[in-house]
Amino acid sequence: MPVGDTTRKPARPRRVVLRAWLRALHRDAGYLAVGLTFVYAFSGLAVNHIADWDPNFVQVESTRVVDTPLPEQDDAAALAVLEALGYDETPLDVYRIADDRLDVTLERITLHVDPRTGEVFEEGEHPRVFLRMANWLHLNRGKKAWTWVADGYAVLLLFLASSGVFMLGGRKGLLGRGAVLVGLGVAIPIVYVVLSGGP
Amino acid sequence: MRIPPRESDLVESMRRREFIRHAVAGTVVTAFGGLYYLAGDELTRQARAQTLPDGRPRLPPGQRVIEALEPMGGDPGDPRPSVFRLRVHGEVERPMELDFATLLTHPQVEQHADVHCVTGWSVLGATWTGIQVAHLAKLAGIRAGVKHVVFEAAHGYTANVPIDEALAPDVLVAHKLEGRALTRPHGPPARALVPSLYFWKSAKWLTGIRFTLRDEPGYWEIRGYHNHADPWLEQRYA
Repeated sequence: MPVGDTTRKPARPRRVVLRAWLRALHRDAGYLAVGLTFVYAFSGLAVNHIADWDPNFVQVESTRVVDTPLPEQDDAAALAVLEALGYDETPLDVYRIADDRLDVTLERITLHVDPRTGEVFEEGEHPRVFLRMANWLHLNRGKKAWTWVADGYAVLLLFLASSGVFMLGGRKGLLGRGAVLVGLGVAIPIVYVVLSGGP
Repeated sequence: MRIPPRESDLVESMRRREFIRHAVAGTVVTAFGGLYYLAGDELTRQARAQTLPDGRPRLPPGQRVIEALEPMGGDPGDPRPSVFRLRVHGEVERPMELDFATLLTHPQVEQHADVHCVTGWSVLGATWTGIQVAHLAKLAGIRAGVKHVVFEAAHGYTANVPIDEALAPDVLVAHKLEGRALTRPHGPPARALVPSLYFWKSAKWLTGIRFTLRDEPGYWEIRGYHNHADPWLEQRYA
Protein backbone atom coordinates (compact mmCIF):
# COMPACT_ATOMS: atom_id res chain seq x y z
CA MET A 1 0.00 0.00 0.00
CA PRO A 2 1.48 3.41 -0.95
CA VAL A 3 2.33 5.71 1.92
CA GLY A 4 -0.46 8.14 2.62
CA ASP A 5 -3.11 6.05 0.83
CA THR A 6 -6.01 5.76 3.24
CA THR A 7 -8.69 4.38 0.88
CA ARG A 8 -8.17 0.72 1.73
CA LYS A 9 -8.54 -0.33 5.32
CA PRO A 10 -6.79 -3.40 6.72
CA ALA A 11 -9.03 -6.53 6.56
CA ARG A 12 -10.82 -7.28 9.83
CA PRO A 13 -10.82 -10.81 11.14
CA ARG A 14 -13.91 -12.64 9.90
CA ARG A 15 -16.62 -13.08 12.60
CA VAL A 16 -17.44 -16.63 13.41
CA VAL A 17 -21.20 -16.69 13.17
CA LEU A 18 -21.98 -19.46 15.62
CA ARG A 19 -25.71 -19.39 15.18
CA ALA A 20 -25.43 -19.84 11.46
CA TRP A 21 -23.18 -22.84 11.98
CA LEU A 22 -25.56 -24.22 14.56
CA ARG A 23 -28.52 -23.88 12.23
CA ALA A 24 -26.63 -25.55 9.41
CA LEU A 25 -25.55 -28.45 11.60
CA HIS A 26 -29.03 -28.75 13.09
CA ARG A 27 -30.48 -28.87 9.60
CA ASP A 28 -28.09 -31.56 8.41
CA ALA A 29 -28.46 -33.60 11.59
CA GLY A 30 -32.20 -33.34 11.15
CA TYR A 31 -32.01 -34.76 7.65
CA LEU A 32 -29.85 -37.59 8.94
CA ALA A 33 -32.33 -38.37 11.71
CA VAL A 34 -35.45 -38.55 9.54
CA GLY A 35 -35.31 -42.27 8.71
CA LEU A 36 -34.56 -43.53 12.19
CA THR A 37 -37.03 -41.12 13.77
CA PHE A 38 -39.81 -42.66 11.71
CA VAL A 39 -38.66 -46.13 12.74
CA TYR A 40 -38.36 -45.34 16.44
CA ALA A 41 -41.47 -43.19 16.60
CA PHE A 42 -43.77 -45.69 14.88
CA SER A 43 -42.32 -48.51 16.93
CA GLY A 44 -42.65 -46.47 20.09
CA LEU A 45 -46.30 -45.76 19.36
CA ALA A 46 -46.88 -49.43 18.63
CA VAL A 47 -45.18 -50.95 21.67
CA ASN A 48 -46.52 -48.25 23.98
CA HIS A 49 -49.91 -49.85 23.50
CA ILE A 50 -48.73 -53.44 23.77
CA ALA A 51 -51.39 -54.07 26.40
CA ASP A 52 -54.05 -53.41 23.77
CA TRP A 53 -52.67 -55.11 20.69
CA ASP A 54 -49.81 -57.20 19.34
CA PRO A 55 -47.44 -54.75 17.65
CA ASN A 56 -45.61 -57.49 15.78
CA PHE A 57 -48.26 -59.91 14.58
CA VAL A 58 -51.85 -60.16 13.45
CA GLN A 59 -53.54 -63.15 15.05
CA VAL A 60 -55.82 -65.42 13.07
CA GLU A 61 -58.18 -68.07 14.41
CA SER A 62 -60.91 -70.04 12.74
CA THR A 63 -62.58 -73.42 12.90
CA ARG A 64 -63.37 -75.42 9.78
CA VAL A 65 -64.50 -78.95 9.07
CA VAL A 66 -62.98 -81.29 6.51
CA ASP A 67 -64.47 -84.48 5.16
CA THR A 68 -63.90 -87.67 7.06
CA PRO A 69 -62.67 -90.33 7.28
CA LEU A 70 -59.12 -89.07 7.04
CA PRO A 71 -56.26 -91.43 6.17
CA GLU A 72 -55.07 -93.50 9.11
CA GLN A 73 -51.43 -92.57 8.69
CA ASP A 74 -50.68 -89.19 10.26
CA ASP A 75 -48.64 -87.72 7.42
CA ALA A 76 -51.27 -88.71 4.89
CA ALA A 77 -54.02 -87.30 7.10
CA ALA A 78 -52.10 -84.03 7.38
CA LEU A 79 -51.73 -83.78 3.62
CA ALA A 80 -55.40 -84.49 3.13
CA VAL A 81 -56.32 -81.73 5.57
CA LEU A 82 -53.94 -79.25 3.94
CA GLU A 83 -55.38 -80.00 0.53
CA ALA A 84 -58.94 -79.71 1.76
CA LEU A 85 -58.23 -76.33 3.34
CA GLY A 86 -56.31 -75.01 0.36
CA TYR A 87 -52.85 -74.83 1.91
CA ASP A 88 -49.94 -75.19 -0.49
CA GLU A 89 -47.26 -75.63 2.12
CA THR A 90 -45.08 -78.45 3.39
CA PRO A 91 -45.74 -78.89 7.10
CA LEU A 92 -42.86 -78.28 9.48
CA ASP A 93 -44.27 -80.85 11.86
CA VAL A 94 -47.01 -83.47 12.03
CA TYR A 95 -47.54 -84.67 15.57
CA ARG A 96 -50.14 -86.95 17.08
CA ILE A 97 -51.04 -85.61 20.51
CA ALA A 98 -53.96 -87.94 21.21
CA ASP A 99 -56.64 -89.94 19.38
CA ASP A 100 -58.64 -86.75 18.98
CA ARG A 101 -55.79 -84.41 18.17
CA LEU A 102 -53.30 -84.24 15.36
CA ASP A 103 -51.22 -81.07 15.19
CA VAL A 104 -49.97 -79.89 11.81
CA THR A 105 -47.50 -77.05 12.17
CA LEU A 106 -46.90 -74.70 9.24
CA GLU A 107 -44.64 -71.67 9.10
CA ARG A 108 -47.21 -69.23 10.53
CA ILE A 109 -50.24 -71.41 11.23
CA THR A 110 -50.92 -74.50 13.32
CA LEU A 111 -53.82 -76.77 12.46
CA HIS A 112 -55.22 -78.67 15.40
CA VAL A 113 -57.14 -81.51 13.76
CA ASP A 114 -59.66 -83.85 15.33
CA PRO A 115 -59.31 -86.79 12.92
CA ARG A 116 -62.51 -88.41 14.17
CA THR A 117 -64.81 -85.47 13.38
CA GLY A 118 -62.78 -83.56 10.80
CA GLU A 119 -62.91 -80.40 12.85
CA VAL A 120 -59.83 -78.24 12.34
CA PHE A 121 -58.94 -75.33 14.61
CA GLU A 122 -56.62 -73.09 12.65
CA GLU A 123 -54.61 -70.57 14.58
CA GLY A 124 -51.55 -68.53 13.92
CA GLU A 125 -50.12 -65.13 13.29
CA HIS A 126 -48.90 -63.07 10.38
CA PRO A 127 -46.18 -60.50 10.86
CA ARG A 128 -46.84 -56.79 10.54
CA VAL A 129 -43.83 -56.44 8.27
CA PHE A 130 -42.78 -52.82 8.76
CA LEU A 131 -43.68 -52.65 12.43
CA ARG A 132 -42.01 -55.94 13.25
CA MET A 133 -38.81 -54.70 11.65
CA ALA A 134 -39.10 -51.33 13.38
CA ASN A 135 -39.75 -52.96 16.75
CA TRP A 136 -36.81 -55.29 16.24
CA LEU A 137 -34.55 -52.30 15.65
CA HIS A 138 -36.10 -50.14 18.36
CA LEU A 139 -35.89 -52.81 21.04
CA ASN A 140 -32.44 -53.79 19.79
CA ARG A 141 -33.21 -57.47 19.62
CA GLY A 142 -30.34 -58.03 17.25
CA LYS A 143 -27.77 -56.42 19.54
CA LYS A 144 -24.25 -56.45 18.08
CA ALA A 145 -23.53 -53.53 15.75
CA TRP A 146 -27.00 -52.03 16.10
CA THR A 147 -26.16 -51.06 19.67
CA TRP A 148 -23.63 -48.60 18.27
CA VAL A 149 -26.07 -47.29 15.68
CA ALA A 150 -28.73 -46.79 18.32
CA ASP A 151 -26.27 -45.00 20.60
CA GLY A 152 -25.25 -42.78 17.70
CA TYR A 153 -28.89 -41.93 17.00
CA ALA A 154 -29.40 -41.04 20.65
CA VAL A 155 -26.41 -38.70 20.49
CA LEU A 156 -27.84 -37.19 17.31
CA LEU A 157 -31.14 -36.50 19.06
CA LEU A 158 -29.31 -34.92 21.98
CA PHE A 159 -27.51 -32.68 19.53
CA LEU A 160 -30.77 -31.76 17.79
CA ALA A 161 -32.38 -30.87 21.09
CA SER A 162 -29.39 -28.89 22.35
CA SER A 163 -28.73 -27.04 19.09
CA GLY A 164 -32.42 -26.30 18.69
CA VAL A 165 -32.44 -24.48 22.00
CA PHE A 166 -29.69 -22.08 20.95
CA MET A 167 -30.05 -21.64 17.25
CA LEU A 168 -32.50 -18.75 17.34
CA GLY A 169 -32.00 -15.50 19.16
CA GLY A 170 -34.29 -12.76 20.33
CA ARG A 171 -38.00 -13.18 21.11
CA LYS A 172 -38.26 -16.51 19.31
CA GLY A 173 -35.20 -17.91 21.05
CA LEU A 174 -34.31 -18.96 24.55
CA LEU A 175 -34.78 -15.46 25.90
CA GLY A 176 -38.37 -15.38 24.67
CA ARG A 177 -40.84 -18.00 23.54
CA GLY A 178 -38.19 -20.69 23.61
CA ALA A 179 -37.84 -20.46 27.38
CA VAL A 180 -41.56 -21.01 27.85
CA LEU A 181 -41.71 -24.00 25.57
CA VAL A 182 -38.52 -25.60 26.95
CA GLY A 183 -39.87 -25.07 30.45
CA LEU A 184 -43.15 -26.69 29.50
CA GLY A 185 -41.42 -29.66 27.91
CA VAL A 186 -39.28 -30.20 31.00
CA ALA A 187 -42.17 -29.65 33.40
CA ILE A 188 -44.45 -32.28 31.86
CA PRO A 189 -42.42 -35.36 32.86
CA ILE A 190 -41.52 -33.87 36.24
CA VAL A 191 -45.13 -33.10 37.11
CA TYR A 192 -46.19 -36.56 35.95
CA VAL A 193 -43.59 -38.28 38.11
CA VAL A 194 -44.52 -36.17 41.12
CA LEU A 195 -48.27 -36.60 40.72
CA SER A 196 -48.14 -40.32 39.93
CA GLY A 197 -45.63 -41.14 42.63
CA GLY A 198 -43.04 -42.33 40.14
CA PRO A 199 -41.57 -45.83 39.97
CA MET B 1 -91.81 -3.18 4.83
CA ARG B 2 -89.72 -5.69 6.65
CA ILE B 3 -86.09 -4.68 6.77
CA PRO B 4 -83.87 -7.66 5.86
CA PRO B 5 -81.10 -8.48 8.36
CA ARG B 6 -77.65 -7.24 7.55
CA GLU B 7 -75.41 -9.67 5.76
CA SER B 8 -72.95 -9.74 8.63
CA ASP B 9 -75.75 -10.70 11.05
CA LEU B 10 -76.77 -13.54 8.76
CA VAL B 11 -73.24 -14.84 8.48
CA GLU B 12 -72.86 -14.58 12.24
CA SER B 13 -76.07 -16.50 12.75
CA MET B 14 -75.01 -19.24 10.33
CA ARG B 15 -71.66 -19.56 12.03
CA ARG B 16 -73.39 -19.83 15.42
CA ARG B 17 -75.71 -22.57 14.12
CA GLU B 18 -72.82 -24.46 12.63
CA PHE B 19 -70.90 -24.24 15.87
CA ILE B 20 -73.87 -25.48 17.87
CA ARG B 21 -74.38 -28.33 15.41
CA HIS B 22 -70.77 -29.40 15.74
CA ALA B 23 -70.80 -29.04 19.51
CA VAL B 24 -73.90 -31.21 19.83
CA ALA B 25 -72.44 -33.83 17.50
CA GLY B 26 -69.19 -33.85 19.40
CA THR B 27 -70.99 -34.16 22.71
CA VAL B 28 -73.05 -37.09 21.47
CA VAL B 29 -69.97 -38.87 20.14
CA THR B 30 -68.13 -38.26 23.39
CA ALA B 31 -71.11 -39.46 25.35
CA PHE B 32 -71.18 -42.69 23.35
CA GLY B 33 -67.49 -43.16 24.02
CA GLY B 34 -68.05 -42.55 27.68
CA LEU B 35 -70.94 -45.01 27.75
CA TYR B 36 -68.80 -47.59 25.97
CA TYR B 37 -66.06 -47.13 28.54
CA LEU B 38 -68.47 -47.36 31.44
CA ALA B 39 -70.17 -50.46 30.00
CA GLY B 40 -66.81 -52.21 29.50
CA ASP B 41 -65.88 -51.48 33.06
CA GLU B 42 -68.82 -53.47 34.47
CA LEU B 43 -66.60 -56.59 34.57
CA THR B 44 -64.05 -54.67 36.62
CA ARG B 45 -66.71 -53.38 39.01
CA GLN B 46 -68.06 -56.87 39.55
CA ALA B 47 -64.59 -58.28 40.17
CA ARG B 48 -63.77 -55.56 42.69
CA ALA B 49 -66.73 -56.67 44.76
CA GLN B 50 -65.36 -60.20 45.10
CA THR B 51 -62.80 -61.59 47.54
CA LEU B 52 -60.56 -64.63 47.43
CA PRO B 53 -60.83 -67.38 50.06
CA ASP B 54 -57.82 -65.91 51.85
CA GLY B 55 -59.55 -62.56 52.16
CA ARG B 56 -57.59 -60.69 49.51
CA PRO B 57 -59.64 -58.83 46.91
CA ARG B 58 -60.08 -60.92 43.80
CA LEU B 59 -58.89 -58.06 41.63
CA PRO B 60 -55.51 -56.67 42.69
CA PRO B 61 -55.19 -52.88 42.89
CA GLY B 62 -54.70 -51.04 39.62
CA GLN B 63 -56.10 -53.83 37.44
CA ARG B 64 -59.01 -53.88 35.04
CA VAL B 65 -60.76 -56.99 33.77
CA ILE B 66 -60.68 -58.03 30.13
CA GLU B 67 -62.21 -61.08 28.57
CA ALA B 68 -59.26 -62.71 26.80
CA LEU B 69 -55.50 -62.75 27.16
CA GLU B 70 -53.59 -60.10 25.26
CA PRO B 71 -50.65 -61.46 23.21
CA MET B 72 -48.01 -59.22 24.89
CA GLY B 73 -45.27 -59.99 22.36
CA GLY B 74 -42.00 -61.74 23.06
CA ASP B 75 -39.64 -63.49 20.62
CA PRO B 76 -41.62 -66.53 19.45
CA GLY B 77 -40.14 -69.89 20.27
CA ASP B 78 -40.53 -73.10 18.30
CA PRO B 79 -44.20 -74.15 18.48
CA ARG B 80 -43.63 -77.70 17.22
CA PRO B 81 -44.58 -80.36 19.76
CA SER B 82 -42.17 -82.86 18.19
CA VAL B 83 -39.10 -80.78 19.09
CA PHE B 84 -40.36 -79.66 22.50
CA ARG B 85 -38.07 -80.57 25.36
CA LEU B 86 -38.53 -79.51 28.95
CA ARG B 87 -35.42 -79.76 31.11
CA VAL B 88 -35.99 -80.12 34.81
CA HIS B 89 -32.56 -79.52 36.24
CA GLY B 90 -30.30 -77.55 38.55
CA GLU B 91 -30.07 -78.48 42.22
CA VAL B 92 -31.99 -81.75 41.86
CA GLU B 93 -31.09 -85.41 42.45
CA ARG B 94 -32.61 -86.69 39.22
CA PRO B 95 -32.48 -84.16 36.40
CA MET B 96 -34.71 -85.08 33.50
CA GLU B 97 -35.72 -84.00 30.04
CA LEU B 98 -39.30 -84.51 28.96
CA ASP B 99 -40.61 -84.49 25.45
CA PHE B 100 -44.19 -83.43 24.79
CA ALA B 101 -45.63 -86.92 24.69
CA THR B 102 -43.98 -87.80 27.98
CA LEU B 103 -45.21 -84.58 29.55
CA LEU B 104 -48.76 -85.57 28.69
CA THR B 105 -48.40 -88.93 30.43
CA HIS B 106 -48.00 -87.21 33.79
CA PRO B 107 -51.04 -86.41 35.95
CA GLN B 108 -52.94 -83.56 34.32
CA VAL B 109 -54.62 -80.79 36.25
CA GLU B 110 -57.41 -78.62 34.91
CA GLN B 111 -57.99 -75.47 36.92
CA HIS B 112 -59.56 -72.06 36.76
CA ALA B 113 -57.05 -69.32 37.41
CA ASP B 114 -56.94 -65.56 37.37
CA VAL B 115 -53.95 -63.94 35.71
CA HIS B 116 -52.79 -60.36 36.14
CA CYS B 117 -50.55 -58.50 33.73
CA VAL B 118 -48.24 -55.76 34.93
CA THR B 119 -49.68 -53.46 32.24
CA GLY B 120 -52.97 -53.43 34.15
CA TRP B 121 -55.25 -56.06 32.64
CA SER B 122 -56.53 -59.19 34.30
CA VAL B 123 -58.34 -62.20 32.91
CA LEU B 124 -60.39 -64.01 35.50
CA GLY B 125 -61.37 -67.64 35.69
CA ALA B 126 -59.69 -68.92 32.53
CA THR B 127 -59.38 -72.71 32.34
CA TRP B 128 -55.83 -73.95 32.23
CA THR B 129 -54.63 -77.53 31.77
CA GLY B 130 -51.17 -78.76 32.61
CA ILE B 131 -48.83 -80.49 34.98
CA GLN B 132 -48.08 -79.15 38.42
CA VAL B 133 -44.52 -77.91 38.83
CA ALA B 134 -44.64 -79.41 42.32
CA HIS B 135 -45.16 -82.84 40.76
CA LEU B 136 -42.12 -82.42 38.52
CA ALA B 137 -40.09 -81.12 41.46
CA LYS B 138 -40.98 -84.22 43.47
CA LEU B 139 -39.94 -86.49 40.61
CA ALA B 140 -36.67 -84.64 40.18
CA GLY B 141 -35.94 -84.61 43.92
CA ILE B 142 -34.93 -81.07 44.80
CA ARG B 143 -31.94 -80.77 47.10
CA ALA B 144 -31.93 -79.14 50.51
CA GLY B 145 -31.24 -75.42 50.38
CA VAL B 146 -33.01 -74.75 47.11
CA LYS B 147 -34.56 -71.31 47.40
CA HIS B 148 -35.63 -70.38 43.88
CA VAL B 149 -36.91 -71.65 40.59
CA VAL B 150 -35.92 -70.16 37.27
CA PHE B 151 -38.35 -70.72 34.41
CA GLU B 152 -36.30 -70.88 31.24
CA ALA B 153 -37.82 -70.12 27.87
CA ALA B 154 -37.01 -69.55 24.22
CA HIS B 155 -34.26 -67.11 23.23
CA GLY B 156 -32.83 -66.95 26.75
CA TYR B 157 -35.90 -65.53 28.46
CA THR B 158 -36.03 -66.32 32.17
CA ALA B 159 -38.32 -65.59 35.08
CA ASN B 160 -37.38 -66.24 38.71
CA VAL B 161 -39.87 -67.33 41.37
CA PRO B 162 -39.30 -68.15 45.06
CA ILE B 163 -39.47 -71.90 45.65
CA ASP B 164 -42.51 -71.77 47.95
CA GLU B 165 -44.53 -69.92 45.36
CA ALA B 166 -43.27 -72.08 42.50
CA LEU B 167 -44.43 -75.23 44.28
CA ALA B 168 -47.93 -73.88 44.95
CA PRO B 169 -50.61 -76.26 43.64
CA ASP B 170 -51.82 -73.78 41.04
CA VAL B 171 -48.42 -73.37 39.38
CA LEU B 172 -48.42 -75.41 36.19
CA VAL B 173 -46.56 -76.28 33.06
CA ALA B 174 -49.65 -75.40 31.02
CA HIS B 175 -50.33 -76.66 27.51
CA LYS B 176 -54.02 -75.88 27.12
CA LEU B 177 -56.13 -72.80 27.59
CA GLU B 178 -59.93 -73.07 27.59
CA GLY B 179 -59.63 -76.67 26.50
CA ARG B 180 -57.63 -75.84 23.37
CA ALA B 181 -53.94 -76.04 22.63
CA LEU B 182 -52.06 -72.84 23.38
CA THR B 183 -52.23 -70.63 20.32
CA ARG B 184 -49.13 -69.06 18.77
CA PRO B 185 -49.10 -65.79 20.73
CA HIS B 186 -49.37 -67.61 24.05
CA GLY B 187 -46.23 -69.70 23.99
CA PRO B 188 -46.99 -73.17 22.64
CA PRO B 189 -46.46 -76.04 23.10
CA ALA B 190 -46.18 -75.25 26.82
CA ARG B 191 -45.70 -72.30 29.12
CA ALA B 192 -45.39 -71.70 32.81
CA LEU B 193 -48.42 -70.54 34.74
CA VAL B 194 -47.82 -68.68 38.01
CA PRO B 195 -51.18 -67.08 38.86
CA SER B 196 -50.06 -65.45 42.11
CA LEU B 197 -47.49 -63.22 40.42
CA TYR B 198 -47.62 -60.78 37.53
CA PHE B 199 -48.03 -62.58 34.25
CA TRP B 200 -44.49 -61.98 32.97
CA LYS B 201 -43.40 -64.66 35.44
CA SER B 202 -45.50 -67.19 33.48
CA ALA B 203 -42.82 -67.72 30.85
CA LYS B 204 -44.06 -68.57 27.36
CA TRP B 205 -42.34 -71.13 25.11
CA LEU B 206 -41.04 -72.92 28.18
CA THR B 207 -37.85 -74.91 27.76
CA GLY B 208 -36.66 -75.54 31.30
CA ILE B 209 -37.30 -75.43 35.01
CA ARG B 210 -34.11 -74.89 36.98
CA PHE B 211 -33.90 -75.15 40.74
CA THR B 212 -31.30 -72.86 42.31
CA LEU B 213 -29.73 -72.13 45.66
CA ARG B 214 -29.53 -68.40 44.94
CA ASP B 215 -31.92 -65.97 43.34
CA GLU B 216 -31.23 -65.14 39.71
CA PRO B 217 -33.24 -62.14 38.53
CA GLY B 218 -34.76 -62.85 35.15
CA TYR B 219 -35.24 -61.01 31.87
CA TRP B 220 -37.66 -58.29 33.03
CA GLU B 221 -36.27 -58.18 36.55
CA ILE B 222 -32.94 -56.89 35.32
CA ARG B 223 -34.72 -54.36 33.15
CA GLY B 224 -36.38 -52.46 35.94
CA TYR B 225 -39.31 -54.67 36.87
CA HIS B 226 -39.87 -55.88 40.40
CA ASN B 227 -38.00 -59.02 41.41
CA HIS B 228 -40.96 -60.53 43.24
CA ALA B 229 -43.98 -59.16 41.29
CA ASP B 230 -46.86 -59.59 43.75
CA PRO B 231 -49.94 -57.99 42.14
CA TRP B 232 -51.65 -57.43 45.48
CA LEU B 233 -48.71 -55.36 46.66
CA GLU B 234 -48.50 -53.70 43.22
CA GLN B 235 -44.88 -54.79 42.89
CA ARG B 236 -44.61 -53.71 39.26
CA TYR B 237 -41.28 -51.91 39.14
CA ALA B 238 -37.96 -52.12 40.96
